[in-house]
Amino acid sequence: MTRFDLLRSPFLARLLRSRWPRLILSVAALAGFVLAIAAGLAGTPVGSRNFGIIAVWIAWWAALILVAVPIAGRGWCSICPLPLPGEWFQRGGILAPAARRRGLGLRWPRRLRNLWIQNAGFALLAISSTVILTRPAVTGALLLGLIGAATVVSLVFERRAFCKYLCPIGGFVGLYSQVAPVELRVRDAALCAAHREKTCYVGGPGGEGCPWQVFPAGLTRNSSCGLCFECLRTCPYDNIAVNLRPFGADLPRPAGRRLDEAFKSFLMLGSALAYSAVLLGPWGEIKLAAFRVGTPEWAAFAGGFLAATFLALPGAFALHVAAGRLLAGPRGNFRETLASYSQALVPLGLAAWVAFSLSFVFSNLSYLWPVLSDPFGAGWDLFGTAVGAWTPYLGAAVPTLQAGILIGGLAWAAGLASRIGHRLLGDDKRGSRRALLQASPVVGFAFVVTVVQLWLLIG
Amino acid sequence: MPFSTSRSPSTPANHAAARPAAWAGFLSLALVVLLVPVPTGAASGERTIRIAASSYAYDPGVVSVNPGDRVTIELVAQDVVHGLYLDGYGIQLRADPGQTARLTFTASRPGTFRFRCSETCGPLHPFMIGRLSVGPNLTLLRWAGLGLLASVFGLWILRR
Amino acid sequence: MRPEHLARLLVILGVLLPLAGAAIILLPPLGRNGEVIEVHARVAEDGGWLPSELVVPAGTPLTLRLTSDDVVHGFAIGRSETQAVDVLPGQYSELTLTFDRPGRYTYYCTRWCGPGHWRMRGTIEAQGGGATPSSAAEPPYVRLGLDLDAPHPAPGVPERRPSAIGGEALGIDLPAGLRGRAYYETHSPYQAFQSLREQGSFSRLGDERVWDLVALLWRQATTARALEAGRALYAQNCAACHGEGGGADGVMATSLPGSLGGADDAPGPADLASLESMMGARPALLHGKILRGGMGTGMPYFGPIFTDGQLWSLVDYLWTFTMEYEE
Repeated sequence: MTRFDLLRSPFLARLLRSRWPRLILSVAALAGFVLAIAAGLAGTPVGSRNFGIIAVWIAWWAALILVAVPIAGRGWCSICPLPLPGEWFQRGGILAPAARRRGLGLRWPRRLRNLWIQNAGFALLAISSTVILTRPAVTGALLLGLIGAATVVSLVFERRAFCKYLCPIGGFVGLYSQVAPVELRVRDAALCAAHREKTCYVGGPGGEGCPWQVFPAGLTRNSSCGLCFECLRTCPYDNIAVNLRPFGADLPRPAGRRLDEAFKSFLMLGSALAYSAVLLGPWGEIKLAAFRVGTPEWAAFAGGFLAATFLALPGAFALHVAAGRLLAGPRGNFRETLASYSQALVPLGLAAWVAFSLSFVFSNLSYLWPVLSDPFGAGWDLFGTAVGAWTPYLGAAVPTLQAGILIGGLAWAAGLASRIGHRLLGDDKRGSRRALLQASPVVGFAFVVTVVQLWLLIG
Repeated sequence: MPFSTSRSPSTPANHAAARPAAWAGFLSLALVVLLVPVPTGAASGERTIRIAASSYAYDPGVVSVNPGDRVTIELVAQDVVHGLYLDGYGIQLRADPGQTARLTFTASRPGTFRFRCSETCGPLHPFMIGRLSVGPNLTLLRWAGLGLLASVFGLWILRR
Repeated sequence: MRPEHLARLLVILGVLLPLAGAAIILLPPLGRNGEVIEVHARVAEDGGWLPSELVVPAGTPLTLRLTSDDVVHGFAIGRSETQAVDVLPGQYSELTLTFDRPGRYTYYCTRWCGPGHWRMRGTIEAQGGGATPSSAAEPPYVRLGLDLDAPHPAPGVPERRPSAIGGEALGIDLPAGLRGRAYYETHSPYQAFQSLREQGSFSRLGDERVWDLVALLWRQATTARALEAGRALYAQNCAACHGEGGGADGVMATSLPGSLGGADDAPGPADLASLESMMGARPALLHGKILRGGMGTGMPYFGPIFTDGQLWSLVDYLWTFTMEYEE
């Protein structure tokens, strides 16, 4: 096991146990969030001069997909402003953990404890994204709706049910957090087994029970842990470790038969390709169709998008998995094999999203400086940067960066597919041969997807 | 407890560190694929390209010229004021409807470059994009070739 | 302070500051010396100038804060010397104007913003004491009793474009009665051709040569400065519909029939490069057409927009599509 426990540093241990870092950062995020809503609803309708559009879809998005998720996993979730009003209500205060939680505190329905609602939510955002990304009023309304929904859910359901089961951002952040080189795990699982009170889950004098409804001893991957560090405060045995670890150490893992996560991967991969084609391509008709929400052209676009991401891409992937099983000789349940191999799409999808985001982030980052001085587009100049022509940055370097990341993701996905095959079919010589045969079509799928994305971005 | 930190974000795990020869082989092949010069041989000449700009696309959206061509772009705005900024060359034009803008440059850098609108022309302005190919898109072919290498490398070498 | 209270203070500050910002911009802007009015520009289909009618006291400075809500626009006051100001999306331009004389002033958009561009106009009514300006003199086409909407084909046309240079090369003295603005403004090139044809001293010249003399007359009736001014006005105002070469092939030409103000079966823009049409047109008729507009076609009326000098410069320039004025 190659892990370095950050909590061995007394400074870091004190820092992470304190509630102030999270409070300060999340209130700063909340202030930015409120400003984005205000600017979106009351500011100029010109997107490139409105804080609501630029700070959210250029600055925050870049920070999320280029830095936060690949490096800190679900780190953003720990400072996200969406759950704050609900949390403060449940707690009856900002800092102090409450003796008794307010609100109805209902348990989340068992049948909905999966990613399907988040998949649907993200798909809905995706088919409306062209108008969300470009009209400040729509972004403002969306953000207001999200924080409203999160607050209402907190009044009714226990803990951070919105974050865990409803948030469309959380769906893919959780999926890709498996790539990150940071994890929160217990040090000694036997200690947890012997501990009767389970204060980490139930709550105790130091803090509240895990808001993500996770039992730390049961954490084997990053997807559900929001890095809020509550368990650091409640565990009486100092049994929680925050480890630095190799990238992607969560994968592969035994997959089970649930396909909701596989479909999250298909949706994300498909959206990266679709966004690259619609937003960054030279085809004006598709852009306009995607923009005119509610018209027949838009319905055709939305139908095409949904068919591609929920039918065509998964169907193609399933065919490749089936081909692999044919080559290697069938073994095991098909759904399980499918779910297992879909883990290979995690680095592939993240690479596709990073590469896609690089295109518009650097070419539009220069809009950020005027928008900081004049968030509403009202003629202000708070920091003297209001006047500034648009200048694209790194125009020559970005294509190489994108291609490098895509190929890196492909290599990683290929290696991961290979390792999945070996786990399924065995490490011995015969098993290895069968594993390579079984994984090859999946790697071929990844190769084709990568080449398509390459062509869309640098072709 | 022993620890190690990995350096490059795209290097999965420490398993592959056990096969330095394979890595060296892959990396050198990669460099060859990316950098080996390929003669293009197309003759260069004078080109005049009329690009019509309307919200939110260029027509033609994809333009091809030969390396070394002396290219004159005529930007014709069809509905509102549009601009054209060419990545990689850094040149910029702006046209009002009724006033064609012209700019001449030499396509000395080979590759495929995006050109974007540089005058706010509506909500989808940041996504008004076209493509200029100077010569065949060798970059795409090289990276696609590298992708093939990477797939094989990943499948075989990164399996543990 | 207890930690909980400090935390609550932080939260309240974090939420209130951005909201305060929103409140500031939603409140009406504070006045300074004189009036400050915020004007938003939108394409005509979305409302045009908002507001499009302003009332100000004559003699007091009026500060306009101009911004665009969609694409690049421009602002200028019609029939005045004030420079046009670009009105950019999401950015503010300021302009301070003082209307010394009471009356109705028109402001208009100076950067093409779609087929409805010419409809983007507003009025400023300057009220108050002081002499109201006298009403404008009768335009020439009214004086001459010209029907602006009737077609004006020339009974005879040259085979190629008449050349003023060729005419100059002939080294002939032109009759005094045909020279100068007075004749130029009230007669068509064909009429000039006929008058020259009738003169005995030109009977040995071929028709094409006589047309060249007409072109020379036309060029001598104007100045290089007027032509340059006309060229700039044409490029900015007319080329989008009439085409950069006058051939009615401008980018907006296809959108005119059926567009704002145009009937579905309205003809497209006039072909200013057509010899048949232009040789039979009197400059006073062209002047009147631009002044009054096209009545149900997409041709705007420029009466409130151009000064008389600008109108004539533009008319003078239009002949360059059918006549060669320089090498």
